[in-house]
This record gives sequence, structure tokens and C-alpha cells, in this order.
Amino acid sequence: MPDEDERATLRPSRRQFVGAALGAAGALVAGGAGGVAIGRATDTPATSAAGKQVPFYGVHQAGIATPAQDRLAFAAFDLTTTDRTAVEVLLGTWAAAAAQMTAGQLIGPINTAPQAPPVDTGEALGLGPAALTITVGFGPSMFDDRFGLASKRPAALADIPPLPGDQLRRDISGGDIGVQACSNDPQVAFHVIRNFARLARGTAVMRWSQLGFGRTSSTSTSQDTPRNLMGFKDGTNDIKAEDTADFDDYVWVGSETDQPWMRGGSYLVTRRIRMFIESWDTDYLADQERVFGRFKTSGAPLTGKHEFDPVDLDAKNPDGTPVISLNAHIRLASPSSHGGQKILRRGYSFTDGIDQTTGLLDAGLFFIAYQKDPRKQFVPIQRLLGSRDNLNEYIQHTSSALFAVPPGLSGAGDWWGKDLFA
Amino acid sequence: MSRIMSTTDRTLRIGGAAAAAAIALSACGGGSGGGNAPTGTDASRTATVTITAANGCQISSTTFPAGALTFNITNKDAAAVSEVELDSGERIVGEKENLPPGFSGTFSVEVGGGTYSLYCPGAKRENIPITVTGTAPAAAGGSVDALLKQGTADYANYVTVQVGYLLKAAKTLQAAIDGGNLAAAQAAYDKARPFYEKIEPVAESFTIGKNSLDADIDARANTVPASRWQGFHPIEKGLFQDRSVHGLAALAAGLVANVKKLQHKVSGLTYQPYELANGAQELLDEVATTKITGEEERYSHIDLLDFQSNVEGAEQAFADLQPGLAKIDPALAKTITARFAALDALLNTYRTGSNPSGFDYYGALTTADKHKLAASVTAVQQPLSQVASKVAKA
Repeated sequence: MPDEDERATLRPSRRQFVGAALGAAGALVAGGAGGVAIGRATDTPATSAAGKQVPFYGVHQAGIATPAQDRLAFAAFDLTTTDRTAVEVLLGTWAAAAAQMTAGQLIGPINTAPQAPPVDTGEALGLGPAALTITVGFGPSMFDDRFGLASKRPAALADIPPLPGDQLRRDISGGDIGVQACSNDPQVAFHVIRNFARLARGTAVMRWSQLGFGRTSSTSTSQDTPRNLMGFKDGTNDIKAEDTADFDDYVWVGSETDQPWMRGGSYLVTRRIRMFIESWDTDYLADQERVFGRFKTSGAPLTGKHEFDPVDLDAKNPDGTPVISLNAHIRLASPSSHGGQKILRRGYSFTDGIDQTTGLLDAGLFFIAYQKDPRKQFVPIQRLLGSRDNLNEYIQHTSSALFAVPPGLSGAGDWWGKDLFA
Repeated sequence: MSRIMSTTDRTLRIGGAAAAAAIALSACGGGSGGGNAPTGTDASRTATVTITAANGCQISSTTFPAGALTFNITNKDAAAVSEVELDSGERIVGEKENLPPGFSGTFSVEVGGGTYSLYCPGAKRENIPITVTGTAPAAAGGSVDALLKQGTADYANYVTVQVGYLLKAAKTLQAAIDGGNLAAAQAAYDKARPFYEKIEPVAESFTIGKNSLDADIDARANTVPASRWQGFHPIEKGLFQDRSVHGLAALAAGLVANVKKLQHKVSGLTYQPYELANGAQELLDEVATTKITGEEERYSHIDLLDFQSNVEGAEQAFADLQPGLAKIDPALAKTITARFAALDALLNTYRTGSNPSGFDYYGALTTADKHKLAASVTAVQQPLSQVASKVAKA
């Protein structure tokens, strides 16, 4: 089983040949749907990458270090049962279904007896694996007194405290279990959420869900940096799958945890960030660039010429003012503003139509971040951003959720949190 | 998970079932004269079943003595498998569900001599013929067929009785309207509704002229052309929105006439077992689509009363199938019974003596209440959706 960092990449790029080569190796190990022969691997056209299979089993869950796919379907579930065994069976059933879906297989026959409903709902038939990953985590509420898990709650899974500027809606925040389905095909991703909800009937109900139509982060050097709905490149300095040291330092839970079942896991924070797009669209270019601290077209920092030029936070204008404003987004989000701390961002653009009250677009960024310890990473970073970021005039955090994402599944017969429930 | 299998597989499996019974094993002779007690050693009565992705279903032995048997099952790594059954023809003798990879479970059965099949739906090797030697114990209760037949007869009787009550209640409503008594008419409306909501899918199955009988009796505003809108709901609008019986007499007379048509149609009607299952499912669909949204009783707001009546009608249809289903698939029957009980318990929390309908009005429900009710309905619908095919094959 290949490690996360060996996994197949989505788009071979001239810029980073090494990453692409590793990707091809990963695809071979994964043994894609077509059973591609080794000798042919190098001339497999890049376009087939969209349909490839990402290994479901491994040391870490896929969908974190996996190069960010194009589409997201996310759902949070609340358990309605109080039977601990029913929760284990649900997670085991989901894991079996996930193994099949990530391999591009049905979770059961569609051609059932005429009087019986099809087992698989069918909408993903023929769409292939489409780089599907399914990542599951447990919210703080799982560790209340319902299932006897209180003593297994990791310290790092502390509730996210109220943060400056929060306008959170309870009905689309939190949840006992979070499920992130990412794929290059939106229907393949949705198929996961729908069938998980179906398999959960009588045991858990969906609390909220969010679709994302385009990735806003690159999590591999082989990927181009995408743009968010504000038209800016997002995630230029994101942690990349190739930076294994960064993953060990900032993303994967290690021996420092108080809960051994979380070793190899990570903590997932989601925030639905509404953008006031109409206001943003009337802001003049130089101000937009001042807000971010980057040039809009090139993505270069205001102190540089190219996207990946280092950000010089100390550079001064001739009049002595900082080139990158004191409250510029990239300054406040920069690791140097947080004692070197970083997070892995893996967010998606969303739109939920229009705000019926105002008639304005209800769109923005569904922010997803993975980290070793939210108390040291997301929380302080957002506390600073929420109080000072120039961007706050144009955004609002409308939901928040936190999940402890256990390590990867070792193989068939393993399921999410098997050690937690043991 | 459902039982999935092609008819060909079925036929193969049933073929030659009768043969094995006669040959009694002499191995049990060593037993200490236990009379009718099950014979054979413990080891010979316990089977180990292992399911793997590579080899499918495997069992430690395929021959057992008649009597009590225990199956210890482990699903090692077969993602497509989540249950194991011991089948005798179309009947599930014993089963263990909730066995995704990594889970183990046990079931015990009491079997007589004959040929059985261990069925692991979705496994690479799905079926293993099992031979049980010895004499068959007396079968408890009647045959599946007879039980289902009795169930459909009971359901037909239930429909007839409900329609009888409905006609009586509709006449009371008509009398109150004709007498110009608004309060009495409102009370009569509340009383009449449940009898219809309990058996609505039956009315839906009749079409007279262009309209279905259901539309003539129960169409909601704007679902039919205004000129053809008749039945309960324009009466509801008059009584609860306009708060007047003015102009309702013709509608009340029409309602009584249509209920009489319904009574005529259902008399002597017979049902197939799968129709009961589908009817129950339709009633729950009704709940999910029009009751939980407050659309059905938009003027009287007694949606929860309709909700409860739909559920009761569904539960009745299921109850009539239950004795037969319990022989075909006992675990499924048990699950559905438990889910209905949970739904009833939840509904009971909304009962109140302060409203004539006996339930909270729709407007009193919070969004969280509606979510809980809807989830409880889908929790029944999921296993219930498996029933039609089970009873259709029996």
C-alpha cells in the first residue's frame, strides 16, 4: 500500500516532474480500474487521471494529502441511536461501502427483484472511481455520555471557542460524524453522501450538508493554484503532499497525542465562509490587492513578481509604510505571524443560490483545514484573522465544525474508529 | 440489506430439496437416552462460517443432525456482504444481519431434516447447500401462504370497516353543514379525516372518468382545476378559513356521494400481499411529502392527526403481513415492528387533550420537531421497502 505522499497526482506538470513521476508509480500500485500494464504507464494520457482510483486503505485516510480533487460533497451526521454497537456497525457498513465506491464499484445490485428497491441508488454507475476519496471524522459531541466515549476524547478536540466576527448558524454547524467526499466528478461525490445517509437510516440522520463546485487549494506541487470566488489564487503557500516533513510537523497526529487511537490521524475544521461578492466586485483593483497582499492576475506577493516568490513582510514603500499592509490577509495568515504554525487547507468554492432576504448571491468558500492540533493552529490563526483581516469587510463565517479524523484503515475488516470503540 | 438473487439461483437451490430427510445418522446412538432431546454432539451442532472477498462464503461442515444448530459467522474482508441466512426454499429459517467486514455474529435455529441453503448475499460464493439429517419437527403455525392469505383477508376487512366509518362521519359532517352549525361541522371534519387517511392508497387505485377517486375526495387546493375542486379540502377551507358553512352544502353532499362510490368499489375487493406492503409504503410517502410540510391541512392545521392516521394505516397493513413475514424473514419483521414502535412513541409526545384533533397543531411544531418526525418515518420506510419482494415471492 503506497503512502499518501506516493499517491497518484491529478495533473502532471512540467514544473514538478518529480511529483508527477511519483504519481504514476502510485497509480500503478493502486492498480486502476483498467488494470494498466506496467509498460504502458508512461504513455497513459494525463486525461485518464480524472477517472483513476485513489487507494482507500493506507496509513492515513485518503482525502487529506491526496491532491485536491475538483468537487466536494460534505455531510455532517447526528447519531439518533444510543446503542454503541449500532454505531460500530454503521461505521463498519460505511467503510465497506466506501471501499467499493472508491474503487468505482456499486455498493449492491441495481437489478434487484422487481418488487425490491435497487440496493445501490445507481447514479454513479459507469462514472468510474473519478479519484474519489471518503474521509470520516468524529465531532466533539460523539464524546458525550451516550456511548461511553468521554474518556477517549482527545484534548485537541476541544470545542472551538467563539472567535471574532463569528456569525455561526447552529443548524449548519457541528455534528457527531463528518464525511468528506471528494472526487473529480460531482455525481460520484454526491452518491457517497446520499448512500451513506441511506445506510444510516434508523441509526443516524444528516444534520447538514454542503456541496463544493471547485477546489480552492492545491495540495500538491503538481497542481496549479486555483482561484477562489474573489478571483485570487488561493493556497499558494499551502502545505503540499510532497512536503512530508510539513505533514509530520503540522498535519498528522503523532506520539504527542493523549489518545493513541488518533495516531496517524488529523483534526478537521470546516467553516462556511460567505463572501459578499457584490460588494467585492465594486472594490477597486488596488484595494483588492491590498486586502490580500497579492497581485490579482499573477498571484505574486506585492513584494515580488511571480506567484511563488517569497513574501517579504518587512518590505517598505518609499514613504515608510509596509508594502504588504499590516492587516493584509497573507500577512495575518502567514506562519511567521503564528510562531511558524501552518495548516493544510483543502477548501472548495460553493454557491447555495441567492440569499432570499437580500437577493444577493449566497456564495463563498467552504473552508476545510487539516492539522495536528486546532488549539495551536486553526484557533489562534482565525482569532487573529477574525479581529484584523482586511478581508473581514467582505466575508462572514456562517458555520463551524470540528472533527477528529482517525488514521487510515488497514484493510477490509477495519473501520473508522475501530480502536476508539475497542 | 435485501435478499438478492436471480430466479435461476432460486430454482437450483430448491431443486432436490426433499431427498435427504429419511437417512438418520447412527452417530447419535451414544447419547444417554434423552428421549426427544436433540441428538448429536455439541461440535456437530455448531458451524463456523467464514466470509472472505477471495473465496466468498465457507462453512466448516455441510451436514448436520436435526435439532438445534448454531452458526458462528465472521466476515473477514468481503465488502459486498453484510448478512448471512439459512434458507429453506423461500423461507429464511435463521439469519444474522449487520455483518460488514470486521464483524462477527451468531444465530441459532431449530431445524428438521431436509435440504437447506446457507445464503451469503453479495459473496463471491453465495450459496452453500446444507443437508440436515433426521426427522422434521412439527411445523409451528400455518404455512406462509396461508398466513399471508389470512393477512390480506384481514386487511380487506379493515378497509371495509374504515370506509363504513368514513361514510358515517361524512354524513355527520353533511348534517352539521346542512343545519348551519359551524362548530359541529368543524368537529365533524376532524372526526372524518382519519378514516380516509388510513386507507387512502386504496382510494387512489380507483379512477372514475378523468379523476381518480382520491382526487375527488381529497385533492388539495391548486392540485386540480378550481372548477373541479371538491371533497374534503374546499370544505376545510370554508370551515376553518372562511369560518362559515355558507355554500358548503353541495360539497358535503358530493363528498358523501363519492365516499359511497368508494364503499361500492372496495366491497368484495381482494388484495395481494405485496399490495399491502406497497400500500403501507405509499402511506408513509404521504406522510413524508404532504403531512410533514403542513400542506395537507393548510386551513385546519390538523396535519399531525392525518400523520398519525397514515401511520396507523401503514402499521395495520404491515401487521396483517407480519405473521407471514415473520416466517419468511423474522429479523426484518422484527426490525420493522421496532421502528414502527419508535415512530408511535415519538408521535405520542405530540398528543394533547387541549385540541379537538388530539394532537398539536402544525404551527406548534419546530423545525427540529419536523426533522425528528421525518427521520423516524424514513427509518421505517427503509426496511419496509424490502417487504413487497419478500411476500411476492412467497
